[in-house]
Amino acid sequence: MNVLAIDTATPASSVAIGVDADLLAMSVNVDRRGHVGFLMPAIDFCFSQAGWKPRDVDLVAVDVGPGPYTGLRAGIATAQAFAAAVGAPMVTVSSLTVIAVRAATGRRRIWPVVDMRRGQFAIAPFRPLPGGVAPDGRPEVVSPEYFKVLLESEGTDSLVVGDWASMPTSTWTALDKVRRGRPRYPSADTLLEIANIKVNQGNLTAAEDIRPMYMREPDVQINWESFRSEGVWPE
Amino acid sequence: MSGPLVLGIETSCDETGVAVLEGMEVRSSVLASQVDLHARFGGVVPEVAARAHVEAIRPLVHQAITKAGVHPDELDAVAVTQGPGLVGALMVGYAFGKSLAYSLGKPLYGIDHMEGHLFAPRLAFSGYEPPAIVLLASGGHSQIVHVKAWGDYEILGGTIDDAAGEALDKLARLMGLGFPGGPAIDRDAENGDPSAIRFPRALRDRPYDFSFSGLKTSVVTYLEKAKSEGSLPPREDVSASIQEAIVDVLVTKTFNAVEATGVEVIGGGGGVLANRRLRERLAAEADARGVGLFVPEPVLCTDNGAMIGSVAVHKMERGEQGDPLTGDVDPALRLGS
Ligand SMILES: [Zn+2]
Repeated sequence: MNVLAIDTATPASSVAIGVDADLLAMSVNVDRRGHVGFLMPAIDFCFSQAGWKPRDVDLVAVDVGPGPYTGLRAGIATAQAFAAAVGAPMVTVSSLTVIAVRAATGRRRIWPVVDMRRGQFAIAPFRPLPGGVAPDGRPEVVSPEYFKVLLESEGTDSLVVGDWASMPTSTWTALDKVRRGRPRYPSADTLLEIANIKVNQGNLTAAEDIRPMYMREPDVQINWESFRSEGVWPE
Repeated sequence: MSGPLVLGIETSCDETGVAVLEGMEVRSSVLASQVDLHARFGGVVPEVAARAHVEAIRPLVHQAITKAGVHPDELDAVAVTQGPGLVGALMVGYAFGKSLAYSLGKPLYGIDHMEGHLFAPRLAFSGYEPPAIVLLASGGHSQIVHVKAWGDYEILGGTIDDAAGEALDKLARLMGLGFPGGPAIDRDAENGDPSAIRFPRALRDRPYDFSFSGLKTSVVTYLEKAKSEGSLPPREDVSASIQEAIVDVLVTKTFNAVEATGVEVIGGGGGVLANRRLRERLAAEADARGVGLFVPEPVLCTDNGAMIGSVAVHKMERGEQGDPLTGDVDPALRLGS
């Protein structure tokens, strides 16, 4: 199965294509803006490397966040349009999962971190498993101070990964059982691997159910019901 | 009628608009208005707008294509608003349009939202051709544009403070009317006397420019004085008088431009052009002077996907190439620059 994976949840945008979980080509760009300018040329570059045409894509995988940037929406819109145009099903993965999977070694509890700006960070605990990770609690948006308290109260050894470097250094003082590691950002090659696992589990996401994982209200309650439209793409 | 099949996408502000055109014929045009979402804030909240666009875009594109009775592969091009507008809102439509064009193997045209408004009357009137004087008035912009030829635009004047629609929103809030202010004042004014109160018309010495901040001040002053004197007129009279002041300025300045240029074609676009009193006054004035007025029905005046598609149709007819790889949103795009 030919997979296109798109990740724009953080300042590091990336695109990857592969056959099942085998990476064929990838393009990465670290830039807080410029997601829209990067994506299509990056996809086109990957396709040219592999000799693919858009219609060769059997599955579109997209990182749905959490992530603070308008770029997250650009990636999701790009993935949705692509999938609709070529009639491919979609798989969604959270940015926290993508980071955690790449970090999974050893026995430590894994805490991926995504910088949500304005002094807030998205975090979630994961348990390492042979060949992957399992969620070990709910994702939340926290301050570095609260995160420190959370880690202090942990009985087990922890591994913090993701964008912890954007937290103040004081967050890490006197945390004996906490180690910090890589990767800093999610990336599309890992997304590709996770997508392959999810497809094998039959874990697809219907296009109409795909939306960014915001984890933060825009200071407003929105009634989405009035927005929903039904229907499928014409065959 | 015939011509290229073009999908037009508009997401610059608070309306997700998608349309399918066949040449200048509208095959379908659908809209997800966010008015209800923004109403309680009395204005458009950028983050709310962007969230609503990403929610609406996929089903709306589907609806537009289905209603038009075409298959996506039959499209000849995709057109999408590039700017000006809210960056987060623009990015949703642009990313979607770009990806759709690329994956269908079609050209993509990034379109100036304001040029879309200039073209919109063409979708309704075959006789609408440059040279033309076009009044553009909405919540985000107020300008008088001299369309010398398609693609050759001179901005003769515009607002020096609030846009006309923005002024209407603020005044409606002051009056305790709803958001958006334009339709609210339009409704309220229907049963009022437009000559009840003479509010000032600003910038008499600048033939094509508007200013609405003075009007707001004078309405506040008037209401306070009338309240303290116990002489408040019916609210409808105040609404009608406010509307008349704004309409008067827009009409006067538009026809100043018509007179100075000798142009005999007048167009209009933007949400404020849905105002019934403005349409009435423009029609009466155009009639009296024997010039052609081309203000389309309100759904083509407010933001929509068809107007974006119409610019692309024109570009294609002129042989301009569209490319789905290059290009990005430009929130500060300026007409004619
Ligand atoms: Zn507009």
